Amino acid sequence: MLLDLIPHLINGLALGLLFALLALGFMLIIGVMEVINLAHGSLFAIGAYVALAVMAPDGGLPYAFMEPYYALPAVARYLIALAVGPLVAGVVGMGLELCLRRTYGADPLYGLLLTFGAALVLEEAIRLVWGSSEYYLPIPSGISGGFIAGDLIYSTYRIYAAVFAAGMIGVLWLFLNKTPYGAVIKAGAHDSEMVRALGYNLTRLRLLVFGFGAALAGVAGIIMAPIWGIRPVVGVDAVIPAFVIIVLGGVGSFWGAVSAGIMVGLVVALTAAFLTDWSLLSMYLLLLAVVTFRARGLAGKSSVLEA
Amino acid sequence: MDYDTKQTAAWVTGPILLSLVLFGTLPLWVEAVGLYQYLGVEVLIWVIFALGFNLLLGYTGLPSFGHGAFLGIGAYAFGLAQFEVWANLWFCLAAAVVVAGLFGAVTALFLSHRRGIYFALMSIAFGQIYYFVASKWTDVTQGEDGLLNIERLPVDFGVVEFSIRDNAGLYYLCFAVYAVLVVVLWRLTNSPYGRILRAIKQNQTRVAFIGYPVTLYKWSVFTLSCAIAGLAGGLFAMAQEGAYINVMSLQWSGIIVLMVLIGGGFVSFWGPVLGVVLYFVARDVLGAYTETWLLWFGLMFVILVMFKPQGIAGIWQDLARRVAARRGRAPDAVSRAEG
Repeated sequence: MLLDLIPHLINGLALGLLFALLALGFMLIIGVMEVINLAHGSLFAIGAYVALAVMAPDGGLPYAFMEPYYALPAVARYLIALAVGPLVAGVVGMGLELCLRRTYGADPLYGLLLTFGAALVLEEAIRLVWGSSEYYLPIPSGISGGFIAGDLIYSTYRIYAAVFAAGMIGVLWLFLNKTPYGAVIKAGAHDSEMVRALGYNLTRLRLLVFGFGAALAGVAGIIMAPIWGIRPVVGVDAVIPAFVIIVLGGVGSFWGAVSAGIMVGLVVALTAAFLTDWSLLSMYLLLLAVVTFRARGLAGKSSVLEA
Repeated sequence: MDYDTKQTAAWVTGPILLSLVLFGTLPLWVEAVGLYQYLGVEVLIWVIFALGFNLLLGYTGLPSFGHGAFLGIGAYAFGLAQFEVWANLWFCLAAAVVVAGLFGAVTALFLSHRRGIYFALMSIAFGQIYYFVASKWTDVTQGEDGLLNIERLPVDFGVVEFSIRDNAGLYYLCFAVYAVLVVVLWRLTNSPYGRILRAIKQNQTRVAFIGYPVTLYKWSVFTLSCAIAGLAGGLFAMAQEGAYINVMSLQWSGIIVLMVLIGGGFVSFWGPVLGVVLYFVARDVLGAYTETWLLWFGLMFVILVMFKPQGIAGIWQDLARRVAARRGRAPDAVSRAEG
């Protein structure tokens, strides 16, 4: 009985680590820009759609023009997708940051509202380009399919997704904690005005951090695409777990976000296994249970967002 | 939101009269300008909802991103009261108000000690919880199908009874509700209670230091706002002749914020009204030309937040101030009169 749970736990872990990756980008943006980026899910969707265009002949690029390109092996196209998707998401994110500049220093609500409007615009733009139908991202045969170990069937892709996301989170941690760039970003999240006073170019830092956070969303979108499918509203489906994780883990805490992400992923996957219809509700109940007793989440610090 | 005593003491002001005249005569001219009767019903219902919502957003500074849920709860309560208890208009509307108000009161227990973005995040969470429960608890709500065949109940005054099966009849019921509500809310927002709400928006800590129970004020205004949303929901159930899940989604909860903000809910009592009218007219006029009208409306919204977050009412106040300055009058007199 307990062994039967293992595939669900792996699914939950994959989901949770991907949520955490998405949420970490979200949190970097909250830290340095003091903005809740409601368009984060749209950037996630853009990553997925761009990957689709790069991977699949019916993915939006003009086929006749691209025919020789689609003759490339799937692995090569997948690697290109993994590079191009986050790049495009990052550039769109930087464009969003340019719009957001006018709201800095004002009520943080304006940033929230602006990104809500941007999410609406991006979703409609996606509908305009790709239509409303649902797509699945094709993946190279090496990571598709499943295998049997013991009496249980495991999905190869879920394991790949969990490992990939864990690797990304590890690299991100190293980047933030072991490089001078990471130190500046962390300092910016702590007190961005002081970073400016010390002579760093805060304007450029914000632009780059927003782009970087958006690129992380794009990566998460690509890895999630074969699991969730790609449709215009996928942005909303993605941004909600991201913010749940941030509130649950506590604003400003790296490992708070990672552990909250894994918790949410496991809870969602386990409820999905037994009570399919209620899987997303369990996420909110978890949030309520934790936040009622710990107002700043599991590991949150006091932050500007409470003002 | 400045106020002066002459305006705020009044029960009925110039703008209220103007809105009553415009909305009161709307069925007579709406078709002449190329629109249709049902649009008027939709606009009034959303105006009622938006006026209630602006108590939170504009007056108290509480950005609730899950408010559509209470509109939906009101609509379901109206339908269930009609099917299961007593098919009487007053009873069903009262049920919609009370049920939405109760849900609001319980929700507010979790929300009212929070502020700023944390408030927004928690309100999203509650909105989503209600959305998911409504979509999955099919025994009660019929899930994605919605509660169908909700009747437009006759307006029963004991001696006389009016049918509101046609849109014009329903419109005048909504208009009557609007007329009462707008006067009540105008007085409320300019009463001592309303002033404390504004003070909480400006500086919650200082209000608490003076000795006002801030949490109680936030709890009560949230509950009131939800009850008004329930009222709008009850009317909406009749307008649509059904109660559907889509208004409870995050998207619709966001769109009400968008409407109120575009109109200028932050700086004016009339912001929500302007915003709702603009949204629905834009939907029909832009929607006639392009499928993706929401793209253009969203772009307009983004540009507005960037350059003029005070919305249409803010632009109007700037213009009025400029005209007044040119005439050599005191620069602030006009904006105050706008409320």
